[in-house]
Amino acid sequence: MKNIIETKKLCKTFSNGGVQQHVLKNIDLEIFEGDFTVIMGASGAGKSTLLYSLSGMDKPTLGSITFDGTDITKMNNDELALFRRSNCGFVFQQVYLVDSMSVLDNIMAAGLLVYKDKKVLAKKAGELLKSVNIDETLWGKFPTQISGGEAQRVGIARALINDPKLVFADEPTGALNSQTGKAVLDTLTGFNEKGQSIVMVTHDINSARRGNRILYVKDGEIAGECILGRYVSGDKERHQKLAGFLATMGW
Amino acid sequence: MEKTLLLTRSNLRKNRGTSVGLFFLMFISTVLIGISLMIFFDALPTARKEAERLDAGDGYIMVRNGIEDITGEKIEELIKDDTDRFFVYRNLQFGAIPIPFGTGDVSIDISLSDSSAFSREMDRVEVILEDSSVTGDYIYLPYQFYTGGGIRLNDTFDFELEGVKYIFTVKGFTALTYGGCNNAGLFSLVIDDNTYNKILERNGETAEGLMIIYELKDGVSNGRFKIKNRNELLKINPVAIVAGFDIDTVVKSRTFIGLILAVSFLVLTSLVVTAVAMMLANCISNYIKENMKTLGALKAIGYTGKDIKASLVFWFFILSVLASITGIAAAYLVMPIFANIVIGQMGFPYQVSFNLPAAVIPVVFIILFTVTVTVICASKVSKIHPIVALREGIESHNFRKNHVALDKTSLSLNSSLAMKTFIGNMKQNVITFIVTGFMIFTCVIALLMYENFSRHPKLEILMTEMCSGVVTFDNDTADEGLDYLKSRSDIKNIRKIINTNFYYEDKESLFTYIVDDMSKMNNRDLCYKGRLPQYDNEVAVSGAFAKVYGIDVGDEIELTLGENSYSYLITGYIQTTNNNGREAIFTFDAAERIMNMDHIPAWYWFDLKEESADSKDNKAATDNVLEDCKDRFGGHIVNTMNFFEILEGSMTTFKSISAMMLIVMCTISVVVIALILFLLIKSLVYHKRKDYGILKALGYTSGSLMLQTALSFMPSVLASVIVFSVASYYLANPYMSTFMHLFGLVKCSFDIPVPGVVIIAAGLAIASFFLALLQTRRIRKIEAYNMLVAE
Repeated sequence: MKNIIETKKLCKTFSNGGVQQHVLKNIDLEIFEGDFTVIMGASGAGKSTLLYSLSGMDKPTLGSITFDGTDITKMNNDELALFRRSNCGFVFQQVYLVDSMSVLDNIMAAGLLVYKDKKVLAKKAGELLKSVNIDETLWGKFPTQISGGEAQRVGIARALINDPKLVFADEPTGALNSQTGKAVLDTLTGFNEKGQSIVMVTHDINSARRGNRILYVKDGEIAGECILGRYVSGDKERHQKLAGFLATMGW
Repeated sequence: MEKTLLLTRSNLRKNRGTSVGLFFLMFISTVLIGISLMIFFDALPTARKEAERLDAGDGYIMVRNGIEDITGEKIEELIKDDTDRFFVYRNLQFGAIPIPFGTGDVSIDISLSDSSAFSREMDRVEVILEDSSVTGDYIYLPYQFYTGGGIRLNDTFDFELEGVKYIFTVKGFTALTYGGCNNAGLFSLVIDDNTYNKILERNGETAEGLMIIYELKDGVSNGRFKIKNRNELLKINPVAIVAGFDIDTVVKSRTFIGLILAVSFLVLTSLVVTAVAMMLANCISNYIKENMKTLGALKAIGYTGKDIKASLVFWFFILSVLASITGIAAAYLVMPIFANIVIGQMGFPYQVSFNLPAAVIPVVFIILFTVTVTVICASKVSKIHPIVALREGIESHNFRKNHVALDKTSLSLNSSLAMKTFIGNMKQNVITFIVTGFMIFTCVIALLMYENFSRHPKLEILMTEMCSGVVTFDNDTADEGLDYLKSRSDIKNIRKIINTNFYYEDKESLFTYIVDDMSKMNNRDLCYKGRLPQYDNEVAVSGAFAKVYGIDVGDEIELTLGENSYSYLITGYIQTTNNNGREAIFTFDAAERIMNMDHIPAWYWFDLKEESADSKDNKAATDNVLEDCKDRFGGHIVNTMNFFEILEGSMTTFKSISAMMLIVMCTISVVVIALILFLLIKSLVYHKRKDYGILKALGYTSGSLMLQTALSFMPSVLASVIVFSVASYYLANPYMSTFMHLFGLVKCSFDIPVPGVVIIAAGLAIASFFLALLQTRRIRKIEAYNMLVAE
């Protein structure tokens, strides 16, 4: 399988009041095309730091990250921004829609960075919103006027608008109730089934079950890996396998 | 108190940028008020203090053209009852002599004294600068020649008296009260005894005169005293030429440039102070919004609304104290620059010194103003409920309409996102609109002053009537001279205008223009109400004079000259900055009712047929006419004046002030706009930091976000620039009329060069954009990752 990302000796160190905190330690990792990769770990283990480093949102202290053949650690901030436009989609725990923009505008604002034809883009944004079950009546509303679950699905549509090579999702269900969270996960799973590569950080086992590859981060290192295969709803064996893996990791 | 200090310290620490921005706005306000008040309280009173020190009394009367019968005894008999003391000295007096001043000449009455001037009992002359090595034909000039006239020790200085040219070396500069400033209508020059005697011998019969310096008894009216004694002197010698000024008029005429400067700064201050108030209100509102949770927490642990309000007041109080004290110090540092302008006209030596009211009033004003605005704006702190505040529930976005739908707009991405920011920040837009507008107005006024006082000086400011030149023929050649002038193909609009003083009911002297044909007057703005007089029973008087005596158009006033008097009908008001706004105009027929015109030389005013854009060419062409007249008529020419030359000299002080004002006003405008943009953008970036983080995560570059933010200010800047440029264009003259009312101009019609306004408007708009872009640099520091994980 072709990898999209390959890291070598990836390190991230934070300095706080002269005290150095090594959050990521010499991580060698590959993320493969078509995978739904889940990164798990305890709070403070470094999973979000890893996610944002892989996506070019944060810069590692040492090591290299090759994204689709390009070393993104050598890019400056503006180059990284240009890189993210067409390669990465983001789904955040707090959604982070722009409050002053309507639902449709939030999608358009991301899409216009890549698409020049507004009509084509608007059509695609509409299709995406429909595919995440956002009714047309909501498109003109502002983020504060829709529910959290709806907002997160808009977030997913926004992440996908530019056909990114990889979608990065940071605790996408963390702020949602279980039913709404399930709908969001169904949406992500659905896109993955259509071939969209996803990397998701979560500490929720039910969310993690959706992935076909689970990475466990502990003390800044990849402590273990579990391959689950494609998600099938109601697969109890899959759940047990994941639970067993996590148990061995001390979760 | 301790907890208030604690909160204040925290506010100052957390809001350094805001504090610095507000500090500078308050600082600029204090500097401007400080300079204005220093001019008012320290520089301008110097003129009166110096007059007192030089023992100038309450005024002077000068008389010439036959003084042999006006003996010391007669003078004493005339004035002893009204005066505590007086002093009479002899000098040589000449009317309207062109003498070098600044880059040209100034045509002015002059009095010449010999070395006895330095030992007078009253109206003393004091040497300020001197080169004692200069001998031979030397001259001491009033100090204004040094400060405003650009003349230095050892320079050659020459003038012509009735056809004879006198050349001197400048030996020194003097402080003196009467005859020390071109705006007071007289220059008193001290020359070497030898040359003095030569001129006395040559011109003594008409030029030797008396200068009567007097100090009045309490309760004696200066105006009445002057008029009464003028009439008495004319009884002794009916052909005597009598003039005089009281000390108040002389002091005012020596200080009005300083007054213009001080008032201009106060007007500018009022605009900057308004900007300070708006920014204070904005900062407090932002502070409450940004610190809602903290305020909730503070209230929850027992801080009262009063405590929090006190901390805000204390924060801005500290800022205002620091800004006003450093502002006053800075005002003292820069004051010498402005003092030079004041001295340039005042012609008295002045050293900037500490003046308590000028130092204290700006500090107290800025502090009180700041505290008052803060108390008013911080009142909503008391209404915050801790629980609501902790939930950050008070202020929330309330977007109702999507004004710029990205799928429909034809704007580019950056422009449409900028428009969204623009629409979402109306408060910011209003502040930007108003402040930019104020600054445009300020710059247009400065441009108007520069254009009309310096670049293309508008003579109406200084002269009631303008022309290219004047030739004065004696009575023998008046008709022949007129025929000759009419025969010339290079001049037009020849009219006869004579100036003399008439008197209003023994109360006030009126410097009067006697005109043969009113329709030939060039100054179309001279009469601003009613019409110019046409018949022999009509007169137009200056508005300032009419206002003092409650005289309306349609009323009658009695004018006198010597024994003669006549009641004239007032047909209109004229405007002038000259003669303390005490002027009148009527026809020759009207003048003849009270004045014998037979012996008066013929003053012919003319205009060049074709004026060049270059003043030098006009000066040369006028000189050509004057020289031809001199060649043709020789000794019959009593006097000549080249107005283009006089203009250069007369406008010297105006030029320096207007050029300085343009630079100062434009600089302050750019600085104020920069500070306002700094504060607004700082607050905007802070509020939108999350959005910037999101957009950066999506792939927006810092450059594109900076551009969007800078662009978001442009609609209000452009709207302001357009609205206020047009408004300033139309309002500048009414505004100047109000402002110049102080100086005698009631209805101004100054030229406002449209290209200049366009350059200012475009310049400020472009400067605003780049300043905004510069201020948005802080967006670069926002990292998407830090922003997102911080939430």
